[in-house]
Amino acid sequence: MSDLNKLDLKQARTGLLSKKFSALDLVTDCLKQIKNNASKLNSFVTVTQDSALKEAQIADISKPLGGIPIAVKDNFCTKGIRTTASSKVLDNYIGQYDATVIERLKSAGAIIIGKTNLDAWAHGSSTESSDYGPTKNPWNINHLPGGSSGGSAAAIAADESIVSIGSETAGSIRQPASWCGVVGFKPTYGRVSRYGVIAMKSSTDSPGPICKTVDDAAAILEIISGNDPHDATSIGEPPWKIPKTRTDLKGLKIGLPLAYFPKEIQPEVKESILLAAEVYKKLGAEIIELPDVLDPKYSIAVYTILQRSEVSSNLARFDGIRYGNDRSLFGQEAKRRIMLGTYSLSAGYYDAYYTKAQKVRTLICQDFDKQFQKVDVILGPVSPTTALKVGATEGQSMFGELQDMLMEPSSIAGLPGISIPCGFDNQGLPIGLQIIAPQKREDLVYQTAKLFESTTDYHLQSPQL
Amino acid sequence: MSSNIITDDQFQHIAKLSKLTIKPEELFIRDQLSQAAGYVDILKELDTKAIEPTYQVNHKKNVSRDDVVLPSLTQEESLSQAQKTSNGYFSTSATIQK
Repeated sequence: MSDLNKLDLKQARTGLLSKKFSALDLVTDCLKQIKNNASKLNSFVTVTQDSALKEAQIADISKPLGGIPIAVKDNFCTKGIRTTASSKVLDNYIGQYDATVIERLKSAGAIIIGKTNLDAWAHGSSTESSDYGPTKNPWNINHLPGGSSGGSAAAIAADESIVSIGSETAGSIRQPASWCGVVGFKPTYGRVSRYGVIAMKSSTDSPGPICKTVDDAAAILEIISGNDPHDATSIGEPPWKIPKTRTDLKGLKIGLPLAYFPKEIQPEVKESILLAAEVYKKLGAEIIELPDVLDPKYSIAVYTILQRSEVSSNLARFDGIRYGNDRSLFGQEAKRRIMLGTYSLSAGYYDAYYTKAQKVRTLICQDFDKQFQKVDVILGPVSPTTALKVGATEGQSMFGELQDMLMEPSSIAGLPGISIPCGFDNQGLPIGLQIIAPQKREDLVYQTAKLFESTTDYHLQSPQL
Repeated sequence: MSSNIITDDQFQHIAKLSKLTIKPEELFIRDQLSQAAGYVDILKELDTKAIEPTYQVNHKKNVSRDDVVLPSLTQEESLSQAQKTSNGYFSTSATIQK
């Protein structure tokens, strides 16, 4: 068999268990695909070829992820493997322990094939601010993959891995998944441990899977979720379990927030989401317009203040004394964010900026509570546009915030959400829809997404590389 | 949006507090910071007088672990990534001048 890298997780597991091919065959095909596309896509910062091949030879396929290649965003600490966060500050840093997510994936038998590119320190929505060069979108290499988990999303779209891991602070899983035409599942804040993930905005950082199908993403979430004493904000629940799939969505109320269709939205994106709403109607769901959702522009402002503030604190530890290089190697984006955060936290400005933003966060949470009294889940576009061109971030100091405006409210409120493919624009670039549910209701997210995927074939399309 | 919310003096002060060196060609960052600070002013449109802040959405407070020693990084592992060590310790620059 050839092109085993094109398999999804379910197919790869079936093939391994029925001995149609070995873990070594699977890993070898993924590594070959990475090598063939390295200069074109630049999805990986580090490829762990030697250790992956070694592990494949002794893989225990009886484990839930036995022999499955996984691409890991390079902001997860990995023991013995370089972990850079795509910043030259950590260019020479070799992880001394595994993040909880990595520990769980390894225990389940997964094989790390490499560390994927991201916006340096996960600051951005393009992967263009990586100190290791931008990743390109596999659907059109003149376009960006989105970010910050752009390397993971591109690696999945380009079949360089079977599954991947990303992290989201406000869109960093869902937006690149949308731009690359794959599935990105952002769990409830605290469902998946942050221990060992290079901290960005600790009060919303949420690790999660980026995969080829909804089932694959759910299977990875089962493995990485669950309480972790190392993360004080862990929600203290046992590992999440995939609920039963439904054959229809009778009785489900889906909200369509009018504020999620801003005037700048690309017409094809709007059209695709409205078409998706029609699909859901046919599946038995009731579509309810939500006319009074809090304008996402306030979330952009809240996110800007809180993210910068937490970044200025979290990045203070990088002093080049215990590990890594000194602060002179921070790029402009990191400098901008650290300084704005330092400003908003400093004496005289703290209440006007930081406290005010935390109060508006309360309003955002209350607004979702109000909307979820009327509907079970919310449906909307992930991004107002499809993948923008390489270079689009130049001179745009608020690029990420504006790109992520439709995901910032749910991230700030810690809600689970998913991005799944729902169409293509006239340039052939993928369009993604998102489904958002109340805290801890990943079951609703899964069931709603899964049934759309089963009814459509957008997820089966692949880019021509 | 005002481009002078953050003055030059403030900008240099923030850089110092952040322990960052700003190159002459990066001075334009000051204007970008002012723009961002101007943008977030829209929050003033919302009345939050009677609203409590939410610092963290799952409202956990003072989570502690049992006071038990667990396996941790060895001294060798801890020091393995430092560029400069001395007698089994991290080596830092002096903070107090003689």
